[in-house]
Amino acid sequence: MSPTADHNLHVSGTARFIDDIPVRRDTLYAAVLTSQKAHARITALDTAAAGRQPGIVRIFTAGDIPGDKTIGNIFQDEPLLASDEVVYRGEPLTLIVAETMRAARMARKFINVQYDELPAVFDARQAYDQGRLIAPPRTFVLGDVDKAWPQCDIIVQDRVESGHQEHLYLETQGAYAYMNDHLLKVISSTQSPGAVQKMIARILNIPMHLIEVEAPRLGGAFGGKEEQATNWACLCALAAYNLKRPVKLVLNRREDMNYTGKRHAYTSDFKIGLNRDGKILAYEVFMFQNAGAFADLSTSILERSLFHAANSYDIPNVKATAVSCRTHLPPNTAFRGFGGPQAMFVIEAALDKACHAMAMDKLSIQGKNLLQSDSVFPYGMGAKSDGARRCWQSAMDIYQTDSRQKALTTFNRKNRRFKKGLALMPICFGISFTSKFLNQAGALVHVYNDGSVRISTGAVEMGQGVNDKLRAVAARVFSIDEERILLDTTSTARVANASPTAASTGSDLNGMALKTACEIILSALKQFVARCHDIDDPEQIILNNETVQVNGQSIDLSWDKLIQEAYLERVDLSAHAFYATPHLFFDRQTEKGQPFAYHVYGTGVVEVTVDALTGTYTIDRMGIVHDLGKSLHTQADLGQVEGGVAQGLGWMTMEEIIYSDEGKNCTDTLSTYKIPDIQFMPDDLQVEFIEASGRDSGLFHSKAVGEPPFMYGIGVYFALLNAIRAFRPNAETYYSAPLTPEKALFMLTGQNNKQNVSEKKLTLEKKKY
Amino acid sequence: MAKNKKNSRSMSRRDFMKGFGSGVVGGSIMLQTLHAAPPPTTGTFKDESNRVELTLKVNGKLVQTKITPHTTLIELIRDKLALTGTKVVCNHGECGACTVLLDGRAVYSCHMLALDAHGKEVITVEGLMQGEELHPLQEAFIEKDGMQCGFCTPGQIMAAQGLLNEHPHPNREQILKGMSGNICRCSAYPKIADSVVAAAKK
Repeated sequence: MSPTADHNLHVSGTARFIDDIPVRRDTLYAAVLTSQKAHARITALDTAAAGRQPGIVRIFTAGDIPGDKTIGNIFQDEPLLASDEVVYRGEPLTLIVAETMRAARMARKFINVQYDELPAVFDARQAYDQGRLIAPPRTFVLGDVDKAWPQCDIIVQDRVESGHQEHLYLETQGAYAYMNDHLLKVISSTQSPGAVQKMIARILNIPMHLIEVEAPRLGGAFGGKEEQATNWACLCALAAYNLKRPVKLVLNRREDMNYTGKRHAYTSDFKIGLNRDGKILAYEVFMFQNAGAFADLSTSILERSLFHAANSYDIPNVKATAVSCRTHLPPNTAFRGFGGPQAMFVIEAALDKACHAMAMDKLSIQGKNLLQSDSVFPYGMGAKSDGARRCWQSAMDIYQTDSRQKALTTFNRKNRRFKKGLALMPICFGISFTSKFLNQAGALVHVYNDGSVRISTGAVEMGQGVNDKLRAVAARVFSIDEERILLDTTSTARVANASPTAASTGSDLNGMALKTACEIILSALKQFVARCHDIDDPEQIILNNETVQVNGQSIDLSWDKLIQEAYLERVDLSAHAFYATPHLFFDRQTEKGQPFAYHVYGTGVVEVTVDALTGTYTIDRMGIVHDLGKSLHTQADLGQVEGGVAQGLGWMTMEEIIYSDEGKNCTDTLSTYKIPDIQFMPDDLQVEFIEASGRDSGLFHSKAVGEPPFMYGIGVYFALLNAIRAFRPNAETYYSAPLTPEKALFMLTGQNNKQNVSEKKLTLEKKKY
Repeated sequence: MAKNKKNSRSMSRRDFMKGFGSGVVGGSIMLQTLHAAPPPTTGTFKDESNRVELTLKVNGKLVQTKITPHTTLIELIRDKLALTGTKVVCNHGECGACTVLLDGRAVYSCHMLALDAHGKEVITVEGLMQGEELHPLQEAFIEKDGMQCGFCTPGQIMAAQGLLNEHPHPNREQILKGMSGNICRCSAYPKIADSVVAAAKK
């Protein structure tokens, strides 16, 4: 693979992110004043004194918004600027625009806000009890759990909790907006330029064609810029449109961590039943999602939790219910995995609990219950692949888990202070947006008459390597050197109505559209060659390594010459093409259908060492077998797997968001919120790619890679529990991620900082509304 | 912070002025080039009051300027000198994205005052290039794909250069320790480590 243009820019420090763009003359800087209360009525909002501060140009409040006052793609329920009531700490109240960034930020303290505090709810179960829901609960059913319970030899139930997770994209949220004659140009760090354009049009009450939104490149996103980049771009656009001067709004780290939503915290109750042989007969789960104050993408995320409730297991009787609960926290949002990891953690916890109760080896129970080709998911789609089993078996073979297990047992027998644990984590992740209409993409290809190629798609490059993959697609169709191909920035002016670059679908959807667009031009070129050389069937002509071949014989026609001649003969060298994923359907009445184009499978093996004296631990090894189909770009895919794993490990171990009783984020810096660094990575991290199921996969038989590897990280929780049990066999373990060293120490020392299981009132039936 | 420890080998201010020989005369020519740089990007420097003189060398060029005393080194680098390769991520000395070399040692430029660099030499990621030629470290990061989104990359490269200045042939432990002050949220860590190993061999 040739080094990409972006890599050269990054290493030389010349790649420009929003905050690096040389600003235009007369640029103004904006800062946001946000709510200091989690729930309150605003009784007074006086900006007069702030407006008199030096350098202040204008202070905007809700009344200054000419069009819609609210934003939101699924439910348009989120005020751009709050006016009468605030519902979370960090909710924007006013937008201050000044000659300098410092002046804008300093003016905040001169704005007088009077709050009349109201009761606030931060806990999802409490919100549920009060009927504070984003949408009614949903239930996926397969078989009949109630009929299955009497046939089970063992039934266990418990509660499982997983915490919020901060995206911590290194580039904070931001936008830069200016008028270009009567057109409004907005450069935004967003995964969804199309959605940003639509929302700006609504709040300004102008048509979308007057607005161009461009996303040059993102300094990380991970879902955090799918929906939540929109607020800042809209605010920036509001100021620039009103003042007719360029406006820049870039959050600093602390603002970003306080104002934006996280991965949803979940609290769930499960009941699982197995027979004596270890076959899972029934699984019932009720998941409470902490959505925060507004809908954001919560309902879609909740839906994916339901899709992945049974992970990679073939369970004949499943009843999964989930409900999105409205609390007084910043609206939680998309984050790699999109609700899948939260649900998979629950079923893995359920299996752990059951195996521990039966004194059976979890590995054999997991292996026994994996999906097979004829398995049917609870949402009615057939697995039609033995990918789950093939990945599992390969992982067992490659990483020699049996002998590792024995070595660990020996180690644990010989060591008193240090104990090791091992766990396997199978994954199954459906690929497609679960909102069917989003599964569409467009691509625009220009071949210039010197033979160079320029491509525009709706995909946003944020480190996932989509540009490299798209370049590879075009190079493959034209059979030309990748150096000839340039990937344009993502702009609503070049590709309209693009879906967000999300749900791991960026390369699949945009790549398919691009492939078709390239093929349109290729077909025109072949017909041109056929005309010139009197060849009856244009299909006898192929392009191979920059030359034209007829029936396998090269003719004296290079790519350069071909393009030049085609241009002179007035052949159209540009094309736009469109792709919509076929065969997708889902009925939300019956909760059955075929929501995914295909599934990605894999198995992760994780080995840890716990220091029983301190509760600290290290991740010694990780081995992964990942079903990638035929990779479009192995380096990029490897990076995605390694990066996803690290984020998953972080979520399960060290990344802990703590909100105070007043709803204040107490972990709003990098000194209080820890993420994996280079030392935390497993000493030995191996990744094997296999083609577990090629038939049903995507572009050139490749498979999406962005999200699925995140879930291998879940395995670490159970490896840690196994190590803890090696030290204290009767340790009272529980399921509350992240399993920080503090929690590990509680388990190791036999102290209990959680309610007893018997005291927990589990909820499996939904209330009647 | 080991990173910010004063370097015993660092030049005194007098050595520094001597080191530049012809000194200010040559410097003023370079100053003109710097002033022709793109306009400031965050507008921090529109505050004209209470400014003090500062002289330092940045990427081989002498910089003489006036700044407000609270200006941090990263503000000087990004806003005044328009060298935007160096990034601000946490602005608290916690993530390493702003790493530059100060007299050859890796420091967090968000976490020190620009005045503390007075009389010293700063090298940023832009200063590693030799004209159009990439530095071996930059080449290594490309070859080994030691990045994803690229936002932390300049800081990673400068931290790696600081590490290699101290340990030209670092072992694994030294690499992990030397690079642990730099966060990469994409977690390209395995390939970052590979890049440092490859650069050390060049």
